[in-house]
Order: sequence, then structure tokens, then C-alpha cells
Amino acid sequence: MSDRVFEIVTSSFMKLLIPGITVTIPLTILSFLLSLVLGLLLAVSQTANIKGLKQFSVFYIWIFRGTPLIVQLFIIFHGLPTIGIYIEAFWAAIIAFGLNLAAYNAEAIRAAILAIPEGQLEAAYMIGLSYPIAMIRIVLPQAFQIAFPSLFNNLISLLKDTSLASSITVVEMFAVVQQITGRTYEYFALYLEVAFIYLIFSTLLTFLQSYLEKKFVWKSDATKEEKRGRRRAMLG
Amino acid sequence: MLEIIGLKKSYGDNEILKGIDFKVDKGEVIAVIGPSGSGKTTLLRCISFLSNSDEGIMRLDDYECDMKSATKSEVSHLRENMGFVFQSFNLFRNMTVIKNVMEGLITARKMDKKEAKEIALEMLEKVGMLEKKDSYPDELSGGQSQRVAIARAVALNPRVILFDEPTSALDPELTGEVLDVMKKLADEGTTMVVVTHEMGFARDVASRVVFMADGYIVEEGPAKEVIDNPREERTRQFLSR
Ligand SMILES: Nc1ncnc2c1ncn2[C@@H]1O[C@H](COP(=O)(O)OP(=O)(O)O)[C@@H](O)[C@H]1O
Ligand SMILES: [Mg+2]
Repeated sequence: MSDRVFEIVTSSFMKLLIPGITVTIPLTILSFLLSLVLGLLLAVSQTANIKGLKQFSVFYIWIFRGTPLIVQLFIIFHGLPTIGIYIEAFWAAIIAFGLNLAAYNAEAIRAAILAIPEGQLEAAYMIGLSYPIAMIRIVLPQAFQIAFPSLFNNLISLLKDTSLASSITVVEMFAVVQQITGRTYEYFALYLEVAFIYLIFSTLLTFLQSYLEKKFVWKSDATKEEKRGRRRAMLG
Repeated sequence: MLEIIGLKKSYGDNEILKGIDFKVDKGEVIAVIGPSGSGKTTLLRCISFLSNSDEGIMRLDDYECDMKSATKSEVSHLRENMGFVFQSFNLFRNMTVIKNVMEGLITARKMDKKEAKEIALEMLEKVGMLEKKDSYPDELSGGQSQRVAIARAVALNPRVILFDEPTSALDPELTGEVLDVMKKLADEGTTMVVVTHEMGFARDVASRVVFMADGYIVEEGPAKEVIDNPREERTRQFLSR
């Protein structure tokens, strides 16, 4: 690598990392929270068999899974203004990502709810819980555990997909790298560099996932401790 | 105390319960026996409104309701008086043993935590599961799970507890610990309806035996009489297997 390239790559690192931390990550987190809440509502309106809502949910998922994310993004940012709805780029991105991912999260949560044995709900009824309370107290926590890996997968996809926000003027990490390449023409090195930063972020998420998955099992502390002890013993 | 009159239930074209009259008095232990597929589980599920009925009247003391068209509030009122112990335990996997027992008291009955905990501890003591109070269901044997499930039902102090083959999902060496708990409850005067294949239990613990076959109650009477000297041919056949 020439000194010039080295110089550009090192001086760009912070320039990329900062929008990564201040834009890409908040964009990811906020969109994901929106997609989680909406996804949960969509999933529950299907499994609860609420008339009308169920059809709406199926329709919603059909639309948002069946059309490209970038088109959805453009409709919200460029399309809505023509009917008088103006949304700032950053929020337009959150709305588009959130609405889109909600469809995928809904499917993950719905499948998880269906995987919970009917007996859990019946036992809840027999101790006097109503359907909504039984869902909140018993079924959804268990479904969430089952859906967790899929939801986390979706989160990691989202992290990478936020780069599409650059196409609607959001100055996130990928937009910044495009500005720098525009000035320096060092496409290869700089795109590799930004890929590397995305990789760091998603790797951290993967660590977070396995950490949470371990915490998120319904075993008493004594059993967990014993398991850890056994693993330690095995490692010698 | 609890009475069912003319209960009918079909699945599609298949009529499972063809007109069941059934009565439980306070303090009674009723064993429901009969061949597999005769509708015993369906009977308990209809009584507890887990399945809907096609016809039938339920009376609880002076309270009467049409089982077919029971409203949500009727169902919840009637269920307050019933406990259910399932063949497959159905303990809440996301809660510790003690939380399983406290759940109904706190969430449904709005009891305060401290009081609920006291009751739960007392119930777990009764079923011999106090030591495992902080374990999760996945860490228990079948026999232990079923004892916790019994504690969960008893904690709400229902007027009658329905048991659907509480020991048939258990390894043979674990049935004893569950039957012992049930015998203890019987001795304390708990009203119970127990679907079971344990003839020893039915004979020695139950006050009355109901024999079901093909959707009818074929024979019923004092436990020892029905089991030792069945009047009906169908009952005799079943018992001599
Ligand atoms: N959900 C259901 N749908 C259709 N048929 C059912 C259902 N549940 C039970 N049955 C049928 O009803 C009959 C009685 O079942 P069940 O009450 O479980 O009998 P038992 O508990 O006496 O073995 C069986 O023939 C069974 O196949
Ligand atoms: Mg059965």
C-alpha cells in the first residue's frame, strides 16, 4: 500500500466510525424498536384471530415482504411529499426500515407463538387468567425466547441495510464513505474499510446475541453454575 | 354441589359424549374410569369449558348455566371454583416453581405478593416440593412437575379439582409420589374428579367410581362395589383386561 493510501485510510477511520456510531447505530436501534413493536402487534393480531385485523396483518406482510426495501424508502421520502407529507430523511428512513422489518419480525414471532403448546394457555385459563393476560404473562415471554435468534438475525440484517439510507440523503456511514471516495478516488481501500467497520458492528452484535441467549434460559442459577463448572472442568 | 345434566359433545360427525349426567358432592372423590377413547378427557374439558359443549346444563349450587352458550363471565365465574391438573402438567416454563403456584393468586386473584408467597410455600410444603421452589419446570422430573401442578391448582382453593390421568405421563416408579399427594388431599376432604387408570387408587381412595364407555356413563357407584362386583357386562370386560 502506498503512503498516500495508508494516509487516507487511517485519516478516514474516525471520519467513518463517528457517523457509524452517531447515525448508523441510532438508525438501527430506533428502526428495530419500531419493527419489534409493530411486528408483535401484527403477529398477535393473527394468532388472536381478531376479525379484520388478521386480514390486515396478512395484507401488510404481503406488501412489505413483496416489494423492495429501497422502493419503500423512496415512496416514503420522495413519494409522500407529493401528497403533502414531508418527513425528514432520518425519520423517513426509520419509518421505512421499521415498517419493512416489522413484516419479517411478525413472521418470526407468529411462528414462535404457534410453537407454544396449547396446554400453556389452557393451564393459564384454569388459574383464572384471561386470554390477553395469559398471552402477556405466559405465552409471549416463551415465544420471545423462541423467536430471539430470528429477531437477532433480522437486527443484523437491518444494521447492514441502513446503508440504503444514504440514497435518501441520510449522512450515515456509507454516505460518508461515498463523500470521501468522491474526493480521493480510493474506492477499493475505502470500501474495504467501511465493510470492515460494518463487520465490527455486526460481530459485536453477534457476541451480544450469544451472551443474551445464555442469560435467557429458564434454568435456576444453581443449574447454570453447575453447567459452567462442568464446562470449566472439561476445559481442564 | 356441581352437577352436569345432559351433556353432549361431538367432534364433526363423531359424537363423543352422548348425554352425560354427572354430579359431584362436597368432599367426594370420584374416579372416572373407562377404555381409552371413551370420552373421559372430553368430559373434563367440557366441564372446565376448555372445549365447548353442544348441549348440557351446569349447576353449581344455585347457579345454573347453559354449557353451550356460556358467556365469558359465566365461564370465568365457574372456573374460579375449579382446578385442573393436566396429564402433561403444563407448568409455565418461564416461571420458577414458586412463581407457578403464585401466578393465579397474584395475577387473577389480585392478592398481595407476601400473602401469595406464604400460601405458595404452604402448598409446596404439602406436596413435598419446597426444596425445589426456585427451580424451573425444565429442571424437574415428571413426578415433581405434577406435584407442583397440583400445588398450583390447590393454592387457589377451588371447590373441586379435575384431574386428567395425572400419572399416565409418568415413569412407573414416579406414579407413587403423585398418588400419595392426591391421597393426602382426599384425606383432607378435597373434592376431586379423577380420570385414572390406576385401579388401586380408584378402589382405595375414591368414594365413587364412574365407568364410561362409548360416550355414556355405563355404571357408577361406590368404588369398591363397582370395582369388585361390577353389575354391567361392559364394566366387567373392562376391569378384567
Ligand atoms: N380435538 C379433537 N378433535 C377430534 N376428535 C377428538 C378431539 N379430541 C378428542 N377426540 C376424539 O374423541 C374421542 C374421545 O377422546 P378422549 O376424550 O380423549 O378419550 P379418553 O380421554 O377417554 O381416552 C376419541 O375418539 C378422540 O379421537
Ligand atoms: Mg384422556
